[in-house]
This record gives sequence, C-alpha cells and structure tokens, in this order.
Amino acid sequence: MTALWRKVRVLFSTRFAEMVEYRAEVVIWMLSGTLSLVMMLVWMGQAASAPDGRINGYTPAEFASYFLGVWVTGQLLVVWVAWELDMEVRQGTLSPKLLRPLDPMWEHYAAHVAERVVRLPAMLGLVALFAWLAGASFSTDPLNYLAAFGLAMLGFSARFLWEYCLGLLAFWTESSSSFGEVVWLVYAALGGMFAPLAFYPQWVQNIAVWTPFPYMLGLPAQLLAGKASLADAGRGALVLGAWLIVFWFVRLAVWRLGLRKYGAVGA
Amino acid sequence: MTTPTPDAAVHVRDLRKSYTVHEKEPGFLGSLRSFVRRQSREVEAVRGVSFDLAPGEVVGFLGPNGAGKTTTLKMLSGLLHPSGGELRVAGFEPRRREADFLRRITLVMGQKQQLIWDLPALDSFLVNQAIYEIPDPQYRATMHEFTEVLGLEGILKKQVRKLSLGERMKCELAAALLHRPRVLFLDEPTIGLDVNMQEAVRAFIRDYNERYGATVILTSHYMADVTALARRILVIDQGQLVFDGDLARLVERGGGGKTVRLQLRRPVTAEALAGYGSDVKVDGLSAELTVPRAEVSPRAARLLADLDVADLTVEDPPIEAVMAELFGRKDREVVRG
Repeated sequence: MTALWRKVRVLFSTRFAEMVEYRAEVVIWMLSGTLSLVMMLVWMGQAASAPDGRINGYTPAEFASYFLGVWVTGQLLVVWVAWELDMEVRQGTLSPKLLRPLDPMWEHYAAHVAERVVRLPAMLGLVALFAWLAGASFSTDPLNYLAAFGLAMLGFSARFLWEYCLGLLAFWTESSSSFGEVVWLVYAALGGMFAPLAFYPQWVQNIAVWTPFPYMLGLPAQLLAGKASLADAGRGALVLGAWLIVFWFVRLAVWRLGLRKYGAVGA
Repeated sequence: MTTPTPDAAVHVRDLRKSYTVHEKEPGFLGSLRSFVRRQSREVEAVRGVSFDLAPGEVVGFLGPNGAGKTTTLKMLSGLLHPSGGELRVAGFEPRRREADFLRRITLVMGQKQQLIWDLPALDSFLVNQAIYEIPDPQYRATMHEFTEVLGLEGILKKQVRKLSLGERMKCELAAALLHRPRVLFLDEPTIGLDVNMQEAVRAFIRDYNERYGATVILTSHYMADVTALARRILVIDQGQLVFDGDLARLVERGGGGKTVRLQLRRPVTAEALAGYGSDVKVDGLSAELTVPRAEVSPRAARLLADLDVADLTVEDPPIEAVMAELFGRKDREVVRG
C-alpha cells in the first residue's frame, strides 16, 4: 500500500467514523436546508395557476424535477469548512495540525466527503418521497447522472476551496463569517436555487455564465431533470475546472500569507 | 550570520518576536471609540534570546507568566515566524515547516489536544501513523512500548471524550511521540494532573530521552518536573534570557541563603532565633531559618553552642523560593506556563 493511498484511506475512514457519531445531526442539518423545496412549491403553484399551465416552458412537474435536482445537488455541495477554520484560527486549535507533515486542508476535505456518504441514504429516501408527492420525473439516461455527479464533485471542490479561503480570512479579520453569507447569496441566486437561470434578465445570465455557480448547482439539476445535454455538461466542467485551478492558487497564496500572520493563540 | 555550534540540535541567536495587540476600553463607549479609532500597541514578547542545545540534552525553560517561554517554543516549532534572529532546529529553519522538519519534532501543549474527541485514541494514532508514514513494524513496536510504559492498556479503545484528564494526557503524549521525534518541545505537559500521573509522565519523558537520545525543552508549572528531568535551566524574563546554567548554579544565583532546620530538645521562641537568620519559623521543637550562604558554618556553630540542639541540617532552598528570589516576586507563585 502506498503512503498516499494509506493517508487517503485512513483519513476517510476516521472521518467517516466521526461523522457516524453525528448521524442524527447530519440528517437534521439536511432537513434544515430546504430552501429549494420551498421554491419548488412556490413555482409549482404559480405554474398550476398560469393560463397554459406552464411558466417559461416549465410545467409544475418540471419545476418539481428541477428543484428536487437542485436540492440533491445542493446536498452534495454543503461546506462548513469556513466556520471550522475561523474557530481553529481564533482559538489556536490550528496549531497541533500545523505541526504535522500534512496540509490541514486534507483532513477537512476528508471530513466533508465522509459526511456526504453519511448523508446519502436519508437524502435518497427523502428525494424519492418528494418526487412521488410532487410528481417529478427524472432523466432515464445514466450518463446524465454520471455527468451531474461529476459536475457536483467539481462544484463541491470549488466551493470547498473558496470557503476555505473565506475561513482563512480569520487570520486578518473578525468578520469572515459575514463575507461567507454574501458569497452564499450570490451562489444561491446565480446557481439557480431561487429559480432556473433562464428566468433571470439577460444581463444577469450574461454575467452568471462567467461564474462557477450555474454549473455547480443549476446545470446538474437540469441534467437530472433531462433538460440539459452532455455537451452542456462538458462546457460546464471546463468552466468549473478553470475556477478550481484559480481557487487552488488563491487558497495557497492566502494560506501562506495567513501563516505569517498566525498568532497561534493560546497554544 | 552566526555559525551554529556543530551538531547543535537547537541553535538560537538573537531571537526576537514582536506583535501588535489591539486594545479597547470596556463598555459601550469603549466599543464606540474602538470602532472610530482602534488603539493598538507593539509588544516585544522575545528580545534577543540566544542559546544552543546539544543532541540528547534535557533543558528546563522557566520564567514567570508572559515572560516569552511559550512564544519561544512556538517559534522553535515553526508555529510562529520570528521577527528577527536566527533559528535552526535539527538542522532546519522551523518557519519553513518542511515535512522532514515536522517529522523530527513534536510540541506537546498541556492544554491543547490533537486527539479526535469523538473517537477512541487508537483512531488518532492510526491517523498519525498514516500522516507520518510510520512503517507497520515500527508502529507496532512503538505502540507496544508506549502501552507498557504509560499503562495505556484498556484505554486505547475508549472514546477520548470519556477518558479522564490523566488518561487523555497519556494518550496525547503517545500520539505526539508516535513518530519518534528527535526534538521535543513540552509546554506544561503535566498541568492539571494528580501527583501519581505527573510522576508517570516524568518517567515516560525520562525513558524516551534515554532510549532515543531526544533533545527536550520543558516548561512546567511544577518545579518537580524540572528538577526531576532537567540538569540545565534556561530562565527567561520579560523576553530576555536571564539565566543559562545548571540547577545548582541557579540556586546559587538565586542568592538568599540556605535553609537551616533544627530539631531542639527544649522549645525556643522565634524571637530568640531572630539573631541567627531570617524567615524564622518555629513549630514546637522544630525550627527553620534562612542563613546567608557565606555565613552558614559560623551561624550553625553558634546555634549548636547556644541552644540545646538534637539535630541540625542545612539545605538549599526549594527551587520555587529561588525563582521567587530571582524575579523579586515573593508574594506570588513565580513559575507558570
């Protein structure tokens, strides 16, 4: 077994064991993230009362499919690393991690991936229930699922990195969490959590296509709903990949600068 | 640039660290003032500290609160970037935090933990094994050894949060030394532990030092830790090194004098003993007084001649008293982490 593979395996299995300890909290947390399901009900109601039973080409069932897709993808994109880092920097608990020959980022990443696995069974059960209740239907092409999953993983990694950078702001400022809330709003709006991107004014769409948000949330949802093609997924993956590279280097730069600033409080 | 002493495990020259602290008056008005104009000042935590440690040396690092001990240890372990000076630990520049450097050192902080709170300590050990790339045979051998010396049997599979403080500290030590580091920075490793547990931790550190020839820098609230483990003492006060030498020399430097203990056949009053020394304490037929170092022989002779003495002993004062003398702060506990 190579040293790298051992690290990946041990970090994942340990963090998985830790997340299993918090399984009830994970499910409750998942239930609290239901904004897209509320939006689903709002848009379904609007479409049902529209003269031709649809808005911008979406029937109530298609809204259900889209927003359930957004909800599932959103569950795979949940990231709390900024909050943890903020606490670690302020309280000095980052210190023991800095003394080990492994970037502390990887332990956080492993914890997030492990949490996804713990979340999965309850998530699939809930989406099946909501799909049945709302009359949603999903794509029958397995490649669409694969592409949606790939985009979600790229999107999760991108979001993880930008949230990591936000958490690292704790080296300099006491208000890193407020930055996080602003970024979340942009992510949710341009990602399509309130409405599909096509519902926004053209100028907003023109801006959004240059950001990673539509490709990490709205596009996977459209793929699951059968409303986007594999070519769209390929283009989305390219944009997300480019953003991932940008966030990677920004994270490295912020990390190096932050360490110089680190006061190792109380350690 | 100064040339490090050949083979020095730790080389420190003119080490400095200053940082900015923000200050705010309490209350609403203070917050308002701070909002408009934030007050800050520069603090010099470490001011030109220099020393070298040989491989295998065990050194006690003492000083009052805020003297700069922990800041120095943080710089030695690479957690803090020095503001100036030279620093080499195991041949590396700590602030670069190279993987090979981190594999050679450890920093044990009595009040900070690296164990995963919700899982058994064994899980944290496995994580460290993977991170430090410890081969299986070495891991098994080290675990076997630590389990015996620290008495870890029976606690390794308990959740860390359910361990007692002493049990947890033993596991913390094991986790910190699993990769067999050559340089140990121990910051208050026995803080909060009961006497038996303190002794167990001391024995473990002594054993580790002898077995692996590790260099150890130890700060402790408990003088017993220092006297049991370290021959050489570094004393830091207000960011500057004020003493570097062995324990005996520190006691001499502390001045003050020696403690004379008397066992009497007939009771005497404290006033009657005042002429022989200072800090006189009388308890029934026992008495104790401090006598200037140079005056010990003549005063002891006078005591034997003037009083009905059954027994007389002369001792160095406890290290706590020496430290109090050194810092001129007799009214409070002197050595803290």
